[in-house]
Amino acid sequence: MIHLSDINKTYPGAVPLHVLKGINLDIAKGELVSIMGASGSGKSTLLNILGILDSYDTGEYVLDGTLIRNLSENRAAELRNKLIGFVFQSFNLINYKDALENVALPLFYQGVSRRKRNKLALEQLDRMGLREWSHHLPSELSGGQKQRVAIARSLITKPAIILADEPTGALDSKTSVEVMKIFRQLNDEGMTTVIVTHDPNVGAQTNRIIRISDGIITQQSHA
Amino acid sequence: MKNPIFDIDNWKEITATLSRNKTRTFLTAFGIFWGTAMLAMLWGGAQGLQDLLRRQFSGFATNTALVHSSPITMPYRGYSKGMWWTVTQSDVNNIRKSVSGIDALTPIATRSTNAAFGSKTVSSRIQGVSSEYPKINEPIIYSGRFINEADEYNDRKVCVIGKRIADELFKGDDPIGKFISMDNIYYRVVGVAGQKSELNINGRLDDMVVVPISMMRRAYNLGNNIDFMLFTAKQGVKPSDLQPKIERILRAAHPIHPDDSQAIRFMDISKEFEMVDNMFTGVDILVLFVGLGSLMAGIIGVGNIMWIIVKERTQEIGIRRAIGAKPRDIIMQILSESVVLTIVAGTAGICFAVLILSAVAHGSADETGEMARFQLTFMNAIYILILFLSLGTAAGIIPAIKAMRIKPIEALNDK
Repeated sequence: MIHLSDINKTYPGAVPLHVLKGINLDIAKGELVSIMGASGSGKSTLLNILGILDSYDTGEYVLDGTLIRNLSENRAAELRNKLIGFVFQSFNLINYKDALENVALPLFYQGVSRRKRNKLALEQLDRMGLREWSHHLPSELSGGQKQRVAIARSLITKPAIILADEPTGALDSKTSVEVMKIFRQLNDEGMTTVIVTHDPNVGAQTNRIIRISDGIITQQSHA
Repeated sequence: MKNPIFDIDNWKEITATLSRNKTRTFLTAFGIFWGTAMLAMLWGGAQGLQDLLRRQFSGFATNTALVHSSPITMPYRGYSKGMWWTVTQSDVNNIRKSVSGIDALTPIATRSTNAAFGSKTVSSRIQGVSSEYPKINEPIIYSGRFINEADEYNDRKVCVIGKRIADELFKGDDPIGKFISMDNIYYRVVGVAGQKSELNINGRLDDMVVVPISMMRRAYNLGNNIDFMLFTAKQGVKPSDLQPKIERILRAAHPIHPDDSQAIRFMDISKEFEMVDNMFTGVDILVLFVGLGSLMAGIIGVGNIMWIIVKERTQEIGIRRAIGAKPRDIIMQILSESVVLTIVAGTAGICFAVLILSAVAHGSADETGEMARFQLTFMNAIYILILFLSLGTAAGIIPAIKAMRIKPIEALNDK
């Protein structure tokens, strides 16, 4: 599903910052993987590259058989929309849209009709146990509910992979357990999932932990 | 991707975005509203103002000149400086015959007198003119007719009385066919006329009794003399083009030194009209300048607000980019917000301007109910619509491009 070969990334500046140093990584279809590391270790940069939100300097990245390199912004947007589902620490819901509209938004960019995308969005919300909250604004939802809306949004396009950046970082421990339960459930259904986290408890619930330090993968351990 | 114009969520989103900060949206929209209204009101107002001014001149030929005599300023052929000479009917006839550029020409002689009918008397002016007079100063004919060629040729004792004279002497009765007397001569009334143009020479027709010039000369023992002549030039000829030829004829017939430039007074009225036309052009330019300035101020306001909106929504743009929005989608979103704001406020501005212009037009109605055209033509409204649509798009394009250029990851991390 994911193949990274000798990926390097340097942020330019007065003192260039070499954040990823020759990353080699393969993630198979259906894996539930966590990437762990200290702040500034390069784990978020790695996730951003995996999510085609950021570019890399050298190396090779193949996602679901597509070489991700020198993509036009239109092509990158198309791949993000169809292949990748994002879940963020701060949920990143659009605050003036209700839960249903937030979940349906990726389909808007695919040109899916309103009726169909609302139907599919409602199905996803139902799956997350939020059917009755579908017309509530994010400000009316709890942290856990917001994250479940974000997960529903990430799933609506039936992506090849879910990339989650500290998905439990803003949640209490009880809600974190619930959210991780959802990720495990999705993984059981065959969804490839990559989670960036600080939390060892979260890492422990994944199939494989990739530890990154100073831009280098230092350890990979299977559960 | 299907066209977002037909997607209700897109419109809901635009409405939601614009209504989130109502005061800011209102103030921005007001800038556009006022700019558009100003442009439309000034445009329509200038048109109405021109109409009002033109109405003052309506009925008076614009390519008219007046020729009259003045004392000679240089001794000539035994005549001393300061001697008066007079324009005569023979001069008029010669000029009519020799100057091909003249369209209509009338000699004019005027005297103050009293007009009487039965026991009623009213102070008036009697004016002798030729049958060509209406081509130069078109009268309003309330009843009957004006002086014609036959009246002139046969020295008929007929007259056309002014509306005021008719009202005062006949008190609503029909004066046609009745006889009025002036200086012991009876004239048959053949018409009742009034002054159409606000511009007049020697007084308003409403206050006059008009008779054939031939009869006037006889009645007042003027011999061959007249007071002055009035003429209009043919289409494409300026009255001043004919001045040298007319002066040559007059100099040949009267003791006027060839170098005496003061003895013949030639007043080219068309130059006054030209000045008015130039003033209209100036008003048009001023209107355009002020109107466009106001509109530009409004549009710059929109551009400014769109810039702030983009800045405020950078993270949202990042979220949208992350879930699949293409640069074109972001540009369309920002542009549609600025265009919608511009269209709504601009259309309201045009409607407001039309209402105001309509009220002013009603206020400008004259006694016949005719209103000056204080109105925006459909095409002018379309021009303004196209103008503010283009400017509204332009106002949104720079913020939209800025929004598009933000890298998704930078936008997502924007706090």
